[in-house]
Amino acid sequence: MLKIKILQATPNPLQIDIECAPGELHALVGPSGSGKTSVLRTIAGLSQPHIGKIACGEHVWFEANELEGVTKSLSPAERSCGFLFQQYALFPHLTALENVCIPLQNSGMNVAKRKEIAIGWLNRMGIDELANRLPHQLSGGQQQRVALARALVKKPNALLLDEPFSAIDVPTRQGLYQILAELRGDLNIPIILVTHDLREADLLADRITVIDQGIGLQTAEPHVLFQKPRNSRVAELVGIGNKFEGVFSSGKLSWNDSNHVFEVVDKGKIPPKTPVAWVIPADGLSLHPYATANTIEAKVEHISTLGQIAVVQLRTLEGKHAISWEASAAELRRLGLELGKNTYVEIDGAKIHIMPLRTINDPRRFVDSVSKAS
Amino acid sequence: MFDLEALFLSLKLAIWTLVLILPFGIWVAHSLRHLVKGKSWIEAGLALPLVLPPTVLGYYLLVGLGGKSIFGIPLVFSFAGILIASLIVNLPFAIQPIQRAFEAINPEILEAAQVSGLSNWQIFRLIELPLAWRGITSAAVLTFAHTLGEFGVVLMVGGAIPGETKTVSIAIYDKVQSFDTTGAGALSLILLSISLIAIALSYGIFGRSSSRQRGGRA
Repeated sequence: MLKIKILQATPNPLQIDIECAPGELHALVGPSGSGKTSVLRTIAGLSQPHIGKIACGEHVWFEANELEGVTKSLSPAERSCGFLFQQYALFPHLTALENVCIPLQNSGMNVAKRKEIAIGWLNRMGIDELANRLPHQLSGGQQQRVALARALVKKPNALLLDEPFSAIDVPTRQGLYQILAELRGDLNIPIILVTHDLREADLLADRITVIDQGIGLQTAEPHVLFQKPRNSRVAELVGIGNKFEGVFSSGKLSWNDSNHVFEVVDKGKIPPKTPVAWVIPADGLSLHPYATANTIEAKVEHISTLGQIAVVQLRTLEGKHAISWEASAAELRRLGLELGKNTYVEIDGAKIHIMPLRTINDPRRFVDSVSKAS
Repeated sequence: MFDLEALFLSLKLAIWTLVLILPFGIWVAHSLRHLVKGKSWIEAGLALPLVLPPTVLGYYLLVGLGGKSIFGIPLVFSFAGILIASLIVNLPFAIQPIQRAFEAINPEILEAAQVSGLSNWQIFRLIELPLAWRGITSAAVLTFAHTLGEFGVVLMVGGAIPGETKTVSIAIYDKVQSFDTTGAGALSLILLSISLIAIALSYGIFGRSSSRQRGGRA
């Protein structure tokens, strides 16, 4: 298990607490400049946080606290992580084979054995016939495979992937997804993937940590993250369109600028009359051609069709709230939806997820938790 | 007509300068890459011979190397003296191209080397040195050509003792002074040819290698 707890204020703030089990693929997702790559660099030993603890299994790689400062910090070589850089970072003067041989330099093996192992990895990546080419003679996808082979050849303790698919075209990306999926099972090491692409994280990761401005906002399985974001910012970052505000009181949620009140699940965690943000997943929304007791009248403002999928933008007459609804072209025809016409929206209160408007991140509590972990 | 003695002395001086200054230049240039504090001052000091008039530099060296000199023995008007002068004069020519070459290496490549488990010495030997070799070649060519043609400082420190300090540039000057234009022309032609060959060789190597070297910063 790779355990990472890091806290720093400068040069860029970081407050992260994540765990990644062997064989697990953990994605760090967030906008550009949110600190995802800094976390990866810290794990690899390329930079040091002010306070924290990084441990892989029984081995502590890094430890620092407020009182004593850094008490332990292994070098990148000692941590032995496989690191896949965004721009590949292949050694430009060495062939693909020589690049893959480099991590075996201090393995104690002779040159022939090192080459045999490196060729084996290039073969596994499907590029052994390109072994004698220089990096600039390879395509982006081929370079990425060489870089992946180089990251894995020394049997690393963890695999760290920094936006590995962002610089390659979509068909090549699919091939690399396949390779990564196959490797996961075989390697049985923690894999941490940094990406800004939520679909990619959803597709590949077992768990996702959403990072914003260096702070880990929520760690959850992809389906939980999309259904139940912890707070308003997470909902925004994971691209949940139907996010609204209201006031929650004892199982009743009143929608701002509207008389509509929803009966929602009350877990007893939120005090009465608390302003909250709330989201409704796609399966909690339905449209009807006629009004019923629970429907809200809305006007069709925009319909965009992409193949058999249509996205309908609605505006409620009361409160002027914007609602986005995704449907098949057939359903669109069944409902007779047209631009400018009114329709009736039903929101399933049981599917509503309520969250605080903002999360308070208390660094002091974090420091205490790091101290306890040490 | 040919002052072969002067020519060989110049070649000997250029080769010795090269042998001594290149390792030092590589070390200084590599250290400067990682230096933050005081870097500008050191760079300015190393670039000083570029802008200082040769007579001024020659005067200080004459004072510094004369008498018992800082090395305990008089070094003026000797081969050792002009070698020290040549080393100082060539510092910017040797260090700057190598420093630029080291700085042009993408830091991510060095980080990739670190996470690949290489030691600092291995990173230097296997990654940085091969990637900076164009700068090192450039420094070598510049130093060699510049030493062959150096006049002012060498004259100030060494005078013109045949076989000891009379380099080919000083021999050309002497020949012109004594109206031996044929001799001066022949030696000048040799210097010109050597310089042209050195530059052409260096550019030829660069031309062939330019497509290989893609590790630099954009």
